[in-house]
Amino acid sequence: MDDVLTETPPPSRFFDEDLDNFATAPPPLPSPFLLLNPNPKLNLLVVAISPLSRSLVHHLPSKILIGSLFLPEIPLSGNPLLPSANSKSFNLYSAGSQNTCLASVQYTVSPERSRAVAKCLIESVSADQVVIFDCIKSQNYRGRIEVDETLAFKLETKQQRLDGGSLRVNGVDYLPSGSVMDGLGAAILTKCQMKGIKGTLLATWPENGGFEVLKMVFKELGFDVSGIEGEFTKVNSHSDLDLYT
Amino acid sequence: MEFAAEEGQSFSPDCPALLLPALSIGNVGQFATDLLISSVRAKRVGYLDEPSVLPCVGNDAFAPVPQGDLSLSLEAYESALHGLTLIQQRSPVIKGMMISFARNMADFIHSIGKNHVLILSSLDSGRRKRIDASSNMQIYYLSSVSDDGSNQDCENLGWKKLDKYDPCQRRWKYLESLAGGASPDDEELITDEEEFTESDYYASLPFSALFTCLKAKGLKVTCLLCYCSEGDNISDSFQLAHATCKLLGLNPEKFHGNEGGGWMIPLSWKSVYGPPPDMTLF
Repeated sequence: MDDVLTETPPPSRFFDEDLDNFATAPPPLPSPFLLLNPNPKLNLLVVAISPLSRSLVHHLPSKILIGSLFLPEIPLSGNPLLPSANSKSFNLYSAGSQNTCLASVQYTVSPERSRAVAKCLIESVSADQVVIFDCIKSQNYRGRIEVDETLAFKLETKQQRLDGGSLRVNGVDYLPSGSVMDGLGAAILTKCQMKGIKGTLLATWPENGGFEVLKMVFKELGFDVSGIEGEFTKVNSHSDLDLYT
Repeated sequence: MEFAAEEGQSFSPDCPALLLPALSIGNVGQFATDLLISSVRAKRVGYLDEPSVLPCVGNDAFAPVPQGDLSLSLEAYESALHGLTLIQQRSPVIKGMMISFARNMADFIHSIGKNHVLILSSLDSGRRKRIDASSNMQIYYLSSVSDDGSNQDCENLGWKKLDKYDPCQRRWKYLESLAGGASPDDEELITDEEEFTESDYYASLPFSALFTCLKAKGLKVTCLLCYCSEGDNISDSFQLAHATCKLLGLNPEKFHGNEGGGWMIPLSWKSVYGPPPDMTLF
């Protein structure tokens, strides 16, 4: 049984240090930077944050590495020269049509750095529409959630809801009111909302579930997923990558 | 702090009062702000993007049937009918950046020309030395209209000035220097826990940072505070929202909500403490 004294409180509750005006500020960090070649005007930017979506991106055929986003505090040691599903990287690929970019987030972006990474990405990659694939966190979901149940919800910016268009994520309900998404996915969607960009965040549960939903959405977005079959039973989470540096 | 207005929206000169929550035990200020936004049928004016606030997104927190209207971590609402602007904060401030947040918020509020800022927050009941039978219903306040924090309008409403406020006390003076632009490295702060006093504690809370920074901008600021314990703090939020209405001369009975007393309960409150227990266990 968890120790009630040391157990992490629910997300709406604070530690004393969270409410302390005089807590030590985090050390300043250099800004993230993105190297992108070429830098075209894009119709679609897809950001894969959830492990299953990253695996799907990795298995997509005919994609070309066009750039990478670097967080100075993330060491590159141990990364292979060629893109790999196991590397600590944030690579961008062109795939499908020339006007589509896939981003695979293969390192952990802390909540405190999420806004800076989102700002770097959205301001560097000019896209008409952004689709983000992320996971639901149990502590942020206010409904009943079972580990063996697959869930999929979406959130959309106002521009996406109003304009719709052919690249709309259909067949998925909106996240129930009261539940929230945080972290990098939330930061990217926030940036899209602030800038009036069409944006969708698709959140799935559990971390290695929702394969059929993801495959359906990738297909709707114009990617060839016909050769990718079966569930990914071994999903590389970021915590596994930390063992190998 | 960046601001993005909803299409066709802007801050109204007919809304001289601005209300915002300060993070605190029980999230009471945030709950009260939600309740007021819902009850006065405030419309969203725009979104705020602040580097010191953690990002979060969600579905519409207020509509009876949510249609996917996106909510962000910092939003501004207005009700011209009630002359009220409200800023809601839905996620925490990055640890150690509360002063930066308070400065940026004060700069923003000063830039949009508001006359009176009300900060809603709560205090930890566990810190109280003296408790009487009615103490949990007592509203405390802090006001910028006088140097000692007192305000006759608040006294006339039966509220008590927060007696832990001492502008000559070291941490309150330190806050004042930070609000004036001093760097934390320029000042020495006593960190010896044995010398840590009650006044030190109240000066370290988020409402104090906001109060001091807004006051430094020359704005009229009133903090409304109530003591509470961690738990189901909905009733505390009603108390704080009711006190806000008394100060602003608003009558909740005229809100015509779905709850007794005229209040309109936000939709997001239905699941605020998670789902009900699984009865199949029994």
